[in-house]
Amino acid sequence: MKVLIVDDHSIFRSGLRADLAEFIEVVGEAATVDEALALIEQTAPEVVLLDVHLPGGEGGGGAEVIRRSARLLGSIRFLALSVSDSAEDVVGVIRAGARGYITKSSSGAEVSRAVAAVAAGDAVFSPRLAGFVLDAFGAVAGEQAETSDELDRLSAREREVMRLIARGYAYKEVATDLFISIKTVETHVSAVLRKLQLSSRHELTAWALERKLL
Amino acid sequence: MTETPPAPDPAPTPVMRRSRTAVLGGVCAGLADHLGAPVGRMRLIAIVLTFVGGTGALLYLWLWALTPLEKAADGGEPVRRSFPAAPVLLGLAGVSALAALAIAVRDSGADPAVEVLLTIAFAGGAVTWSLLFDRHDPRRSDRYGFHVRTAAAALMLLSAVLLLLTDPRAQTAVLSVVMIIAGFGVLVAPQVVRLWTELMAERSTRFRQESRAEVAAHLHDSVLQTLALIQNRAGASSEIARIARAQERELRDWLFAGTAPSDADFAAELREAASELELEHPVRFEVVTVGDFTDRSFPAVLAAAREAMLNAARHAGGDVSVYVELSAAAIDVFVRDRGTGFDVSSVADGRLGVRESIVGRMTRHGGRASVVSGEAGTEVRLHLQLGGTQQAPAQTSAGHPAAQPAASILPANNSAPGGPA
Repeated sequence: MKVLIVDDHSIFRSGLRADLAEFIEVVGEAATVDEALALIEQTAPEVVLLDVHLPGGEGGGGAEVIRRSARLLGSIRFLALSVSDSAEDVVGVIRAGARGYITKSSSGAEVSRAVAAVAAGDAVFSPRLAGFVLDAFGAVAGEQAETSDELDRLSAREREVMRLIARGYAYKEVATDLFISIKTVETHVSAVLRKLQLSSRHELTAWALERKLL
Repeated sequence: MTETPPAPDPAPTPVMRRSRTAVLGGVCAGLADHLGAPVGRMRLIAIVLTFVGGTGALLYLWLWALTPLEKAADGGEPVRRSFPAAPVLLGLAGVSALAALAIAVRDSGADPAVEVLLTIAFAGGAVTWSLLFDRHDPRRSDRYGFHVRTAAAALMLLSAVLLLLTDPRAQTAVLSVVMIIAGFGVLVAPQVVRLWTELMAERSTRFRQESRAEVAAHLHDSVLQTLALIQNRAGASSEIARIARAQERELRDWLFAGTAPSDADFAAELREAASELELEHPVRFEVVTVGDFTDRSFPAVLAAAREAMLNAARHAGGDVSVYVELSAAAIDVFVRDRGTGFDVSSVADGRLGVRESIVGRMTRHGGRASVVSGEAGTEVRLHLQLGGTQQAPAQTSAGHPAAQPAASILPANNSAPGGPA
């Protein structure tokens, strides 16, 4: 499986590279937005491991890389890597089109698993991101019913799935708990990811805006 | 060497400092203290010298400018001045104005320029004094400063108008106009001073924020990355990784969260408990909170959750998920570890941890707690209904036939610590 690592810290890149599982072939390393764009074009990887904070380009970091290679989103999947697991950091890249995110303190095995999941078309949700989704969609505060746009609300099932992920359940455990198949769980998660990317709920845009202002 | 105790040193001459309780500038009091002479004599000398070509006044000003203020006992104690300098200056301004008018009325061809300038100088001095010194003096009220400024403005405007009427020569007219402008200037001076102070304060705040953001960006790119790398390479629950994680959290708190600390914030308190436990045990907590926790505190739930986390840290270790959900109706806490699990029913009665600290505490406070343990780990669930609403709790555990609620719901007493939402 061809993977491109984009991170501006060479120590981190080489560390990650050494830690990744056998089935992953690292086709290149990039340190800036421009290098990343050039290498994506050249090497056509299946998955891009993308740092959220990147120098170069127009200063947009990882999100800019995704936006500027938007026409390739069908064939290339982006997995965001972030030094922090705060959702503010990550929502920008998710909304730009990343299929999930993991923190940099994750082990090589965890990253490899996430890469495989993203390559298979699934979304990678961490507990923190699930918590953010529940917060942002007002799923707990009970203000859900006010919105009529389907993109702006979670279904009851999606809510349950998100809750369980936030509680630290793996997809398999979620499936067991809800008496559904893993595939169904993955479908729900992908649906939530799509909503997270496309919803115009002001909480989401506010997060993104706030991030850019910083 | 003799055994006699050393003779007490003669008290060293104190360094000269101006007193904070002063007549004018605190110079005479400071000088008296410094030289060990009575204050009255110092004042007399200053006054007498003033009549010798103004030497006393000059010396006084010189010492005033160069002598530091007495150190305050409690930081920024303001200086108190008993001499009413502003009214005295105003009086001098009034005398000068009268003199100018007298010259103008007598129409002897003499030019009242010096008198007019003196009026402006004295009135301006009075206003400056009230803005510079009296504003910070607890002995003078804001009303006092306002009166001084109003009187100064009125004096200048009045005498300018009278001068214009009595002596319509070009030179006097120019001076009168200057005086009118000065009079209006006195009226707006406090606003200008206030605006200026605010502008300066705002600018320095912005500068601090900017430099903080710069530091944050730099640390984010360097130190935080390194700490993440250390955790990555050292293995999630190794000691090095735990130390790195604790450092990362501290740094992150300082960098990003330091803006609005809340006294009572359940989520923050829980995170703090998690980081404390992480330092003592080989465990990594992933704390996820949903809902607005600002100013919400639930001591009983916090204590029970902490106990559950301690259990997980002790008996399971590794990665532990903590999920808190606060809605208008209830607060739910889930603590899940990936240990080997244990048979809940077999826990001895003597084991205070689960039965007393978690289940018992929640029950006493009108909530409930349950422990679900299996091969894939143990999950402790805490639930507390808030407010008076008695709707069915939004429980998500559709499955778990093995779920053995160790305590059943006791909804009768809804004394939720947080009060109604």
